[in-house]
Amino acid sequence: MSNELIQIETPFQFSEENQRKFDKLIQRYPVKEAAMLPTLHLAQKQAGYISPAVMEHVAELLELPVMKVKDVVTFYPMFFEEPVGKYVIRVCYTLPCALRDCKLVLEHIKEKFNIDVASETDLAKGTTPDGKFTLLKSECLASCDVAPVVMVNDDLYKNLTPEKMEEILDGLE
Amino acid sequence: MVQERRILYEHLDVPDINTFDVFRQYDGYKRFEKTIKEHQPEEICDMVTQSGLKGRGGAGFSTGLKWSFVPRDIEPRYLCCNADESEPGTFSNRYVLEKNPHLLIEGILICCYAMGISTAYVYIRGEFTLGKRMLDAAIEEAYRHGYLGKNILGSGFDLDVYSHPGAGAYICGEETGLIESLEGKRGQPRVKPPFPAVEGLFHKPTVVQNVETLCNLPFLMGQGVEWYTSIGRTYGDTRFDPPQSDPNTGTKLYCISGDVNKPGVYELDLGLTAEELIEVAGGVKGERVKAVIPGGSSAPILTHYELECRLDFTSLTLWKSMLGSGGIIVMNETRNIVDCLLNIMKFYAHESCGQCTPCRWGTPWVRDIVQRIADGEGRQTTIQRPRFGIAEGGRWGDTGEMEEVYEDLDLLESVANNIANVDTMTWNTICVFGIAVSWPAVSYLRKFRPEFEAAIREGKLVTLPVEEATVPPEENYAYQQRIVPRLFEAPA
Amino acid sequence: MAFIKLNDLEVEVEDGTNIIEAARQHDIEVPHYCYHPGLTRPANCRMCLVEPHVFFPPAGKVVPDRQLATGCTTTVRTAPPDRKLDGKYDFIVRTDTPRVKKAREDILEFLLVHHPLDCPVCDQAGECDLQDFSYNHGSGKSRYLEVKNVPPKKDLGPDVLLYSTRCIVCTRCIRFCDEVAGTGELGLIHRGSHDEIDIPRDHDENPLRLLDNKLAGNVVDICPVGALISKDFLFKSRPWFMKQVNSVCPGCSVGCNITVDYKEDGLYRIKPRFHEDINQHWMCDDGRLGYHYVNSEDRLQIPMKRVDGELVPTSWADALNLIVEKFSETDPESIAVIGSAQGTNEENYLLGKLAREVLKTESIGLFGREPGEEHKFPQFTIDADKNPNTRGARDMLKLGEDASLTGEALWNGIANVKVAYLVNGAPERPLDEGAKQVLEAVDFLVVQDIFESDVAQLADVVLPGVTFAEKDGSFTNAKGWVQRIHRAVDPPGEARVDWEIIQQLAKRLGGEMDYHFAGEIALEIAENVPDYQDATHQNIGAGGVNIERG
Ligand SMILES: Cc1cc2nc3c(=O)[nH]c(=O)nc-3n(C[C@H](O)[C@H](O)[C@H](O)COP(=O)(O)O)c2cc1C
Ligand code: SF4
Ligand code: SF4
Ligand code: SF4
Ligand code: FES
Repeated sequence: MSNELIQIETPFQFSEENQRKFDKLIQRYPVKEAAMLPTLHLAQKQAGYISPAVMEHVAELLELPVMKVKDVVTFYPMFFEEPVGKYVIRVCYTLPCALRDCKLVLEHIKEKFNIDVASETDLAKGTTPDGKFTLLKSECLASCDVAPVVMVNDDLYKNLTPEKMEEILDGLE
Repeated sequence: MVQERRILYEHLDVPDINTFDVFRQYDGYKRFEKTIKEHQPEEICDMVTQSGLKGRGGAGFSTGLKWSFVPRDIEPRYLCCNADESEPGTFSNRYVLEKNPHLLIEGILICCYAMGISTAYVYIRGEFTLGKRMLDAAIEEAYRHGYLGKNILGSGFDLDVYSHPGAGAYICGEETGLIESLEGKRGQPRVKPPFPAVEGLFHKPTVVQNVETLCNLPFLMGQGVEWYTSIGRTYGDTRFDPPQSDPNTGTKLYCISGDVNKPGVYELDLGLTAEELIEVAGGVKGERVKAVIPGGSSAPILTHYELECRLDFTSLTLWKSMLGSGGIIVMNETRNIVDCLLNIMKFYAHESCGQCTPCRWGTPWVRDIVQRIADGEGRQTTIQRPRFGIAEGGRWGDTGEMEEVYEDLDLLESVANNIANVDTMTWNTICVFGIAVSWPAVSYLRKFRPEFEAAIREGKLVTLPVEEATVPPEENYAYQQRIVPRLFEAPA
Repeated sequence: MAFIKLNDLEVEVEDGTNIIEAARQHDIEVPHYCYHPGLTRPANCRMCLVEPHVFFPPAGKVVPDRQLATGCTTTVRTAPPDRKLDGKYDFIVRTDTPRVKKAREDILEFLLVHHPLDCPVCDQAGECDLQDFSYNHGSGKSRYLEVKNVPPKKDLGPDVLLYSTRCIVCTRCIRFCDEVAGTGELGLIHRGSHDEIDIPRDHDENPLRLLDNKLAGNVVDICPVGALISKDFLFKSRPWFMKQVNSVCPGCSVGCNITVDYKEDGLYRIKPRFHEDINQHWMCDDGRLGYHYVNSEDRLQIPMKRVDGELVPTSWADALNLIVEKFSETDPESIAVIGSAQGTNEENYLLGKLAREVLKTESIGLFGREPGEEHKFPQFTIDADKNPNTRGARDMLKLGEDASLTGEALWNGIANVKVAYLVNGAPERPLDEGAKQVLEAVDFLVVQDIFESDVAQLADVVLPGVTFAEKDGSFTNAKGWVQRIHRAVDPPGEARVDWEIIQQLAKRLGGEMDYHFAGEIALEIAENVPDYQDATHQNIGAGGVNIERG
């Protein structure tokens, strides 16, 4: 661990469209800091993950010390500090899904891609070498009636079995 | 058999009910129009109080009473709609957001009109991407049709509604955690007092209300207090003389999952029994029920002989459990309770915000002890400790005798109780997440002790038949102390 | 004032006081970690639980509240007459019940779950709240069998190291950076039991910012355990081997109250001392880490005189005689005496007396450090005047606002002087060419200093004086607070306390001076200098006396 400050080589900028979205967002709150979560979501959509460059930019936009951004990013599981796969697979692993054999689905994905389950501090071990998939366990996704469930990026898949999962994953580009 | 009574969910499956036009065809926004035409804000608050509406998000706190704490002389005031729905076993808010978002907006309109609020945020958990899209579209439509924005329907009432995404942290469902999160910080609950009603979002008076609670408002305002209170049950609170009424009025969106044949959301009058609910949900999947979690994973578990308990706020509290979020999880005879507890404790250890000492370090400790037991490595040593049971005078307590227990089981109970004490209902934590941890830990252990002991004795998880796995009613602390509430009789 | 019942005591406390402070005022300890009187109160450690009593209507009497309350956030207020408890109390609270004790033990057990208990190698041992409280309040044995978290040791900035294992996540350090410094370099990373204090870093642990604000050192002081450590002090000494005196920082005209930790061989550490109106609980790192010069090997230790253009060591007697000789043979108009804004009131007072009453000159000036930068933080300001006693020295030397021999004008002012006596103490101050020429032109220059400074190098006689840590006296800060400094260590070699040197010169010149300690001079100052009537050493005490308030 060195004491050398890192230099950001390519600063992050919002795309024009996202900048417009941000400009609208920021008006919703009486203090800029409150726009933190939506801004981070927007930035992560664009950049794929929250890199130091993203943190610096968000901090600047919200007029905060960069540590306040880092602090938030590490608290919330939905923000990634490392690159993740094109498809992020979240397998719900909480009790109602566990009662419905989510374990089989998870094991199946692990075997299929020969990867481990990613942890919040080590996403690489749960990401396929081609960078297409990242496998995560998730806490209750509020769909226990159709358990077991899996989210792939923004889409929810219900009543899964290993076979159905296989089909879904194979259908993804 | 008990019948569903669909009010909030009545039009849920109507095609395109998520659009303004179809929503209008089914009385959409008409109840709000009626409200602003016929009632002054203060009247609405009174009506909500009289209706007995209790918050559906978890605490079951009287909505009218909460509103009465809000100081009217501090501007601005805010509404935060709690759509963070993350309590394991709960999924009723999701359907409202995804299928009928205008209903929520109508509820928000009524609440904000009553409270003189002109900005409302809907805090939606980050994973609800579809729900957020649908709500955002509905909000836009509502603006377009003049139901949001400035001078709504020429009434002089302004309201802006914004959706705000969470990012995967359960604790942001706790009302002050939600507020911190909305302010752009870690979702660490605040010390109370001050309560949000007095000092909340941006340090202004704030009403935090669950989606389902708000969705009750259009129907309450549309059809009146009398109609509303005719649904459900009203008990008498016998701590007072004469007894005060303790309403459990309205319907509840019961979410039922786990080992039942037809899991799903069932809208039923408050106050049916757990047995009845399982029947409505197609009966148990498997031979028989081993255990039922009655109010989301935080609620103390019920054994097979406690299913006669009514699933309402009062009854479950008097049975030493809670209705919580109304997430009911059923477990059949093949389930191992130690394993279930391990799953739940992993959830809590992962979701503790880490702010306060007992929960930050106690919750993972509890998880580790359960893990050790589940791995068959629970300590075989036994220790002597006072036996609890029916003590002198027929009360529950220290019997004066000693008993031998496995050291790890005693440790598990003691560590959990040190986070938040289940018997005295006192906690040393900042928020009630602490008791949400110790409730399951202590109740599963006490009610299914034979299965925990077997795991230690045999060095592996052993699933016992229902009768053997459960402590008999005489030794069940909750069952022994239960009180069956009586219906309220108005004083003559 | 609220009338409260605190355990068995009946006491009055000010409205708005919290239970921890109310108890402290009456020598009752309520253990706590996250609460710090200078910061906001998150009540996250849960250690300070106390038992308030409330009126319970169904029982018709006052009973212990169902939940314990945190003493840090529970404040007392005067209750309206009809809401008094037991007819007279505004508040009833106990800090000593079995429930409270049990709660403390439980919290301590949790705190120690991941703690390494490495007191034998911990810098904080001996002044650690965790060590103290667990000794007093804990049950002593650990029931935790699992593997302890082992977060790494981290380098946070120029002077601060974090031993994460010892951190109890009280967030005092974060709150300090947010609230007092306003710099916000610190925060938490991760969540729950994985919480760690850190500066912002990228994924490879390289820092984006360092904890390098000028107030950073305070986080080490307020860390209740040994998690934040000053590199400057790391492994230098066990606290119980050091002695301590109260003093005032000589770094700028704020005049932060400090304690000086020392042993016979020199100073080891400087820490801020609370003063409500001056520095609250804080000080800046310039002051905190600026003491090393005191211990330097290069300090002036013996008098010197110029022989054949070279400064060579000599005896005090010789040096003083030389000076007396020159003073005596010079016309008073051609003598200048220049005091130091680094010096105490006492020595400047004597210097003024020497000039006016003995040497009969009115050419009196003031020298000191050059102005630096002012640094403003939300709750703290570092003054641009880097001298601790500009105001006091002016008062003592009777230099009005328009006095000519100060600041840049000094050099012009002494351009025609033949003999000058300059008391320095700002040895690091460089001289520009103009100043050098002026000083070179002075026939006979006497410099009293602590190092071979630029000024001393031009001198004909150099007298070794001492630093703030080697003398007694008082400073007057920019806001008029007269405060005491105390001697910690002995002067190096033959160096002498500055006022004594001045007195010896005066005596040899036939002046009447016969003081035995600095306090005697202060008594005279109180009589003679306007506004200083209360500024006797006895009055000043630990809290200071303000000359503006009379
Ligand atoms: C740990 C914890 C998690 C909670 N999660 C939720 C939640 O996901 N949704 C919700 O509506 N209320 C949740 N609550 C309850 C809220 O704190 C709050 O009581 C509720 O939003 C108030 O709204 P209501 O009165 O309409 O129920 C949670 C409480 C706790 C202690
Ligand atoms: S009880 Fe747990 S979740 Fe609640 S504030 Fe404390 S650490 Fe956070
Ligand atoms: S490093 Fe020290 S001050 Fe900072 S949170 Fe940890 S224990 Fe508290
Ligand atoms: S602010 Fe001035 S007086 Fe205070 S510590 Fe810093 S240099 Fe010393
Ligand atoms: S000092 Fe009160 S909770 Fe930490």
